[in-house]
Amino acid sequence: MKKWARIFLPWLLVLAVCAAAVTIGVGYYNFISRQIYEDSTAHLGEVYSQVNRSFGSFVETNWGLLRSWGEYMDLAGGPDTAVDYIRQKQDHWGFSDFYFVSYGGEAIDLDGDRVTMTFDGCLDRMVNDKKPVMAGEALPTGQEVTVFAMPTDGGTYRGFAYDAIALSYTNDDLANSLDVDAFGGAARCFVIHGDGRVLLSTQSGGSVFANYLLYLDAASDLSQDRLAGIRSDWANGKDGLVRCEINGVSSCILYESVGYQDYILLAAVPQSVVSAGFLTVRNVTLYVLLAISLLIGVTVVALVLVRSRRQTRESRMEVKYRELMFDALSGSLDDIFLMLDVESHHVDYLSPNVNRLLGIDVNEALRDIRVMGKCAIDGDVIIPKEELMAIPQGGSIYRECEYMHQQTGERRWYRLTVYHTGIRDTGKDIIVMSDRTVERQMNKNLQEALDAAKSANEAKSNFLSNMSHDIRTPMNAIVGFSVLLEKDADKPDKVREYTRKITASSHHLLSLINDVLDMSKIESGKTSLNVDVFVLPELLAELNIILMPQAKAKNQSLATHLKGSPPEELIGDKLRLNQILINLLSNAIKYTSVGGHIDFTVAELPSPTPQFAKLRFTVKDDGIGMSEEFQTHVFAPFSREINSVTNSIQGTGLGMAITKNLVDLMGGIITVESAVGHGSTFTVELSFALPERDGSVDTPRHRITRMLVADDEEDICLDIRETMRDTGVDVVTVTSGEDAVVQAVDAHGSGDDFNVILLDWKMPGMNGVETARQIRAHIGAQVPILVLTSYDWSDIETEAREAGINAFMPKPFFASTFWQTIDPLLGDGVPQSAPPPEPGKSVLDGMLFLVAEDNELNAEILTEMLALEGAACEVASNGRQVLEMFEVSVPGRYDMILMDVQMPVMNGYEATRAIRASSHPDAERIPIVAMTANTFAEDVKRALESGMDGHLPKPIDMDAVRELIGRLKTKKGPEDEGGKQ
Amino acid sequence: MKIKLAALALILTLTSCSAPADSPSGGITVMGKKSDMEKTYMTAIFDRYEDLTGKKLTLIEVDDVDFEAAAKERMGSDSPPDVLLHFHNADLDDFDVKDSFLYLNDQPWVSELTDSALAYCLDADGNLLGLPFWESSVSGCYYNKTVLDSLGFRPAATQAEFDTMCQALTDLGMTPICWPGDGCYWMVQFALDPVFADDPELLERLNKNEVSFSDIPAVLSMARWIENAAHSGWLGDERAYRSTGWDGISAALSSGDALMAFIWDTWFYTDFKPGKYTDDDFALMPVFMGTDDSGTYEGGNLNMMMVNKRGPRVDEALEFLAFCATPENYNAAFSGISTVSCFKGQTTNIQSKMVTDAAASLARYERVSTASTRIIGYSADDVYLACDVMLRGDTDAKGFVELMDGYRIAAAKAQNAAGFQ
Repeated sequence: MKKWARIFLPWLLVLAVCAAAVTIGVGYYNFISRQIYEDSTAHLGEVYSQVNRSFGSFVETNWGLLRSWGEYMDLAGGPDTAVDYIRQKQDHWGFSDFYFVSYGGEAIDLDGDRVTMTFDGCLDRMVNDKKPVMAGEALPTGQEVTVFAMPTDGGTYRGFAYDAIALSYTNDDLANSLDVDAFGGAARCFVIHGDGRVLLSTQSGGSVFANYLLYLDAASDLSQDRLAGIRSDWANGKDGLVRCEINGVSSCILYESVGYQDYILLAAVPQSVVSAGFLTVRNVTLYVLLAISLLIGVTVVALVLVRSRRQTRESRMEVKYRELMFDALSGSLDDIFLMLDVESHHVDYLSPNVNRLLGIDVNEALRDIRVMGKCAIDGDVIIPKEELMAIPQGGSIYRECEYMHQQTGERRWYRLTVYHTGIRDTGKDIIVMSDRTVERQMNKNLQEALDAAKSANEAKSNFLSNMSHDIRTPMNAIVGFSVLLEKDADKPDKVREYTRKITASSHHLLSLINDVLDMSKIESGKTSLNVDVFVLPELLAELNIILMPQAKAKNQSLATHLKGSPPEELIGDKLRLNQILINLLSNAIKYTSVGGHIDFTVAELPSPTPQFAKLRFTVKDDGIGMSEEFQTHVFAPFSREINSVTNSIQGTGLGMAITKNLVDLMGGIITVESAVGHGSTFTVELSFALPERDGSVDTPRHRITRMLVADDEEDICLDIRETMRDTGVDVVTVTSGEDAVVQAVDAHGSGDDFNVILLDWKMPGMNGVETARQIRAHIGAQVPILVLTSYDWSDIETEAREAGINAFMPKPFFASTFWQTIDPLLGDGVPQSAPPPEPGKSVLDGMLFLVAEDNELNAEILTEMLALEGAACEVASNGRQVLEMFEVSVPGRYDMILMDVQMPVMNGYEATRAIRASSHPDAERIPIVAMTANTFAEDVKRALESGMDGHLPKPIDMDAVRELIGRLKTKKGPEDEGGKQ
Repeated sequence: MKIKLAALALILTLTSCSAPADSPSGGITVMGKKSDMEKTYMTAIFDRYEDLTGKKLTLIEVDDVDFEAAAKERMGSDSPPDVLLHFHNADLDDFDVKDSFLYLNDQPWVSELTDSALAYCLDADGNLLGLPFWESSVSGCYYNKTVLDSLGFRPAATQAEFDTMCQALTDLGMTPICWPGDGCYWMVQFALDPVFADDPELLERLNKNEVSFSDIPAVLSMARWIENAAHSGWLGDERAYRSTGWDGISAALSSGDALMAFIWDTWFYTDFKPGKYTDDDFALMPVFMGTDDSGTYEGGNLNMMMVNKRGPRVDEALEFLAFCATPENYNAAFSGISTVSCFKGQTTNIQSKMVTDAAASLARYERVSTASTRIIGYSADDVYLACDVMLRGDTDAKGFVELMDGYRIAAAKAQNAAGFQ
């Protein structure tokens, strides 16, 4: 159907219905009007026919009277006798005068007054035809009367010879007799002559018309032909009814012959009056019908409107809800929906998320779609109009474009899908802009992941290759030397050589396995920190102890420096920090040639908050260094620089990766500066929480007021002075042994000995031991002398003590270490020194261990190894058994419990908790050491949490056993030592 | 300039008149308006008197505008006129009529006067003040008979018929009445004539300020008729009836723009200029203006010769009047003059057909001009002012009558009339 037809057809239908209704209404109106006209004119005719008959009867009556009175006068021989009677009857009959009339027109009344009458030109009718006459007369008094005259035989009255007798009525009286109450007094009735002259008129105020025909000619809309017809009717005494307008008023003119002479009874009545009653009924009927029609129409229209409005409202609500739902839906999506009018390119809909996704104001874009074009990176329109116009009905096109967020500048990729659709003749393009950024990124990531996977695969292959090499190398040594050991079992030197190499290879293999496991755990995200308070000097001392032999083995200098005054107690994972620093330092030692130098510096950095301390650990060597290329992935797993030097050095390629991950885990940063052939510098910056202080001064009460420090490094002297600044000790520093001797001797000579003398071991010229010897030689043994060294002093300890040195202190100098060292020396005024271990005896010698080990082989090895150290053990195969053996033991029987963790019946943790919870007198104080293959930090943590005192990883390293037990014994104190006896 | 010229003319006139007064001939002195004295029938009677009696008349003619003042001065001077020509209007009271003029009731010629002429010359006490010697006319409703006949109308006999006819003519789109509302208000006095002519006692009470127009229903009825006629369109549209003055009446009637006018018959000979219609097309019927159901005519406004009782030649003056009232003399003087007769034996004058045709009606409904001549303080100009206020919508009929009263009483007070002090 054509568009115009859809628009105009309903209106044409409405117009047709209206036209039909109007036609029916007009037809009905005309029918009713015609019927009313016929009925009302019939009514008018009836009324005035009655008036006419009444008037005729009146005329007849008068002529009857005149005839009878004339006959009476004739019979009586004169009028005299009749006159009295007539006088008496005048009021009864209502006539105004009685006349005796001569044929000449002269007349006298009963009083004898003479008048002249014209009889309106009808005198001949009476004279010649002897017929009665009715005519209008104007009396000399001005009064207008109608005279009824009747010929008689003649006679004489008061000397006047008369031929006829007559009665007169005033025209006003006669007019009243013609007036009718019908038609509301609006009707005018006339008695006129056939030529139109007016005899009588009921017109209000009197007759003003002389000739009604002339008046009609002037005042009515009657044509001359119709007027001629009326004139003819009147002249011929015909009745008739004329409808015309008189002075613009629709009127009915009814005329009937009176029947006497040429007189016509004429009634002129406004049509509205004639039909008034009928018209009222008609109009009321029409109004009622109209009202009913209107009521029905209004009701129908109202119902239609209400229904339409309800439907429209519902539709709008539905659309609104759909829009709301669509807005909500689109708002939560990253797809932009757009509907465009094909012709006008006007935006019909734009999802509100366009603001979020493209940074465009929705309303602005609704006004002008070109606003969206600004976002397109490659163009200024979304899709060219021509391209949109070319899409066939039901078709679609696709395009992928990059858009830039107008507020954030972020670029995102969108896939535009344009659907061309149309309802009726209105074409719409629905454009869906789907965010493909993630997809594209995902694809990119996938590609990169694929590349990475390939790279990882290659790395894994390299790793496996490396691991194969690295594992096979020590394994090859172990297997090979084991064969040789069996072969040369009878050669002690060979046996020792082979076992030493087997042990070294085993250790290497073990560290390799540890590293791999560590890296695996770090990469799996299962690594956690065991945070606790630790003492920095202890950590540095332990590092020294561990690494100094390695450096010493390569004749390298490993110097530890302290910058600033780092806090001695920190909160952190000591074990992991230890691991980090050992990795860095051991690497430095490993990749520095013999005789090289490694500087380890701990510096305090400014901390943003007083609750934290920020430290920088710097490991600097003058080793082989790294290429720039390798520096970019030095922290990547399984990365090892391949060159002639590194190839000869054992390594897993995991150490730096583990270090980096641990630094990251601790929230720190690690950087490296290196150059091939010029060494490397690794820097680690970490923050540590500080333990809360109760405000008391840490400095112990002492009698030291003066102190002499001798170190060839000026910075160390300054550090010591700075460290002791607030302790009340006057620190005198010198940079050589000779100067120290001079200072000590001078002080002694002046009777103001130093309270303590601190000497560096290795100084140019006179070393620490010699200096001590010289000082003792001059001032005696009263003043404690300490040696400050970064090196293992065990080799010189005997010589040093013989030279008068009271104690050793590790570098760097820490106040707490100093006080711990010096306090025992100042107890009774005689320097105290720790009793040296008995030569040739292990720290384990004489100890009885309770060992929990479910593996018989391991138990046997441990038993043999302890026996080699002079110790004995009793073995339980599970935790339950250990517990039972402990509970039944005599207090003090066992010196220590070595507890495997993974055991049947009851594991090591449960057994430890049970032991600690038991009522055995040694339950709380007996050392329990974990001895397990679970070597991770959390394993250590769990062991300590269960109540154990230490952790020894499997396979058992007797050096580690000795070190740990020695430490535990020291911690336990002489009372406990003595307790066993 | 006009005032100066008029004063000069007055001085010259007075100077020229003084000579005959002092002339040795001893003739009587007759004083009047110059325009009146120069009427042909007046010069004819003056000449005939001098010719037939051999006596000389000393004529004192004064310009119309200066006449009243000059006449009063002369009447009070040492040489007053013997005979004064004056219309019988309100201004006559300024002359102290009773002391100044001789009552003429007993003169032998009184019976020669027509009733209307005699009535006009009587004062309120019935004393005859002068001999009417003037052309006279009949004021009434002059209608275009030709047009009315053609429309089928006949002349109205009653107020109701007249009103009906006016409305019917208006309905036909015609203007029934030419109403010269721009300054000409003699029509009102026609309406008031029957009110006071038929009730002299009422007139007397009005002049004694015992009643006012507002107390008289007929006067209010007249005012309402005028108001209704204006509103009903019987006077034409407002612009026409308020702008038509004296000069417009002729054109309205001769063209047929208006069918009737309240005018007098001699106007047709003096001012009417025939057009589509001539005077032959007109007829006379009474004036219907709400005061009398049968209508009314007003008789002529006559100039009369009054005898100065303190004049030097009273007897000669009476003889002069008797000369004028002699049939052969007045017929000679009025020969060929179109006028209503003042004397019963007047035969040589010309009476209009309009008047003669209405003789019977005139005989019944003609009244002496009473309102303008007998009501103290009455002024057609004042009536005009009052009526104009009503016709422009600033007051109603009652207000119009109250304004008439106001003007009238103010004028009466100015005249020191008894009862108004």
